[in-house]
Amino acid sequence: MNRPDLPAAGTEIPIVVRTPTAVDLFMFSASAWLLHRIHYDLPFTTEHDGHPGLLIHGPLQGVYLTQSVERWLGPIVRLRSVNYRHLAPAYLGDSLECGGTVTASTPATSTIEFDLWVRKSDGTVTTSGKAVFGSTERIQ
Amino acid sequence: MGIITDEARSWAEKEFPRFDFTVTGRDIAQFAHATEATESIHFDRAAARAAGFADVVAPALFPYVIRMQAYNLVDRAHLEPDGSPSADVPPLSTRRAMAGETSIEIGDPIVAGDIITVEKRLLDLYEKEGRSGPLVFVQMEFTFHNQHGRLVAREQFTRIYR
Repeated sequence: MNRPDLPAAGTEIPIVVRTPTAVDLFMFSASAWLLHRIHYDLPFTTEHDGHPGLLIHGPLQGVYLTQSVERWLGPIVRLRSVNYRHLAPAYLGDSLECGGTVTASTPATSTIEFDLWVRKSDGTVTTSGKAVFGSTERIQ
Repeated sequence: MGIITDEARSWAEKEFPRFDFTVTGRDIAQFAHATEATESIHFDRAAARAAGFADVVAPALFPYVIRMQAYNLVDRAHLEPDGSPSADVPPLSTRRAMAGETSIEIGDPIVAGDIITVEKRLLDLYEKEGRSGPLVFVQMEFTFHNQHGRLVAREQFTRIYR
């Protein structure tokens, strides 16, 4: 069944601001048994790796990218593919604005494509990528 | 001058074991809480069934948890000082790691009770000159199938050492 109500190309996603706390970083590391110290050990992170603070995980920003679509459109869509790159580090304490634009909307195949980004409040893009979502009627 | 040595090149030839991961509702709930995925289908079996799934369903990017737990849950003797599993770290003079690029294709949904087989291979090891010195890129591919032989995800991930 086609979905004529998919948002049109050019539509901007409502921006969601995410400000992960130390608890968020810990839970993400713990859920994956990710032991890399740059996400929880501040002296190691500053002295060994030369960062000014604990790093917000790249894959957590990947989740934020795709959730900005999921939270906007809800369960009528399901992620099919995503590609993203980390362009600048994001640190604990940073507020991350998550947004993007619909780049293609194809009711015949029930797919919708996005350019997505995560940026700091000063405008520095930390992660950017592209994602394809499909409508759930087609996928399940 | 390149910093990828012959030793690092031969490291890149090695094979990784495949791993079977039994997904529990607790694994799914932990990742859902960690990522603020609040939909009841991630926590409540009845809600998941009403939505057409056999059991609680994982968020789309849950395969990350599987490939991390599969290859990171190792004896402490096999961890590097920065917490990384030694088997994951190429023999290089530079040891500061960062996430680079990720590309994920999603297949069938993952539900509690699934047994997911993950396979890992190295696709490429190469270097570039960065603004603050040489950067080494390690490109990996993870392929995830469920117990029915269906593809649930394929991920290409690049880690950068500087």
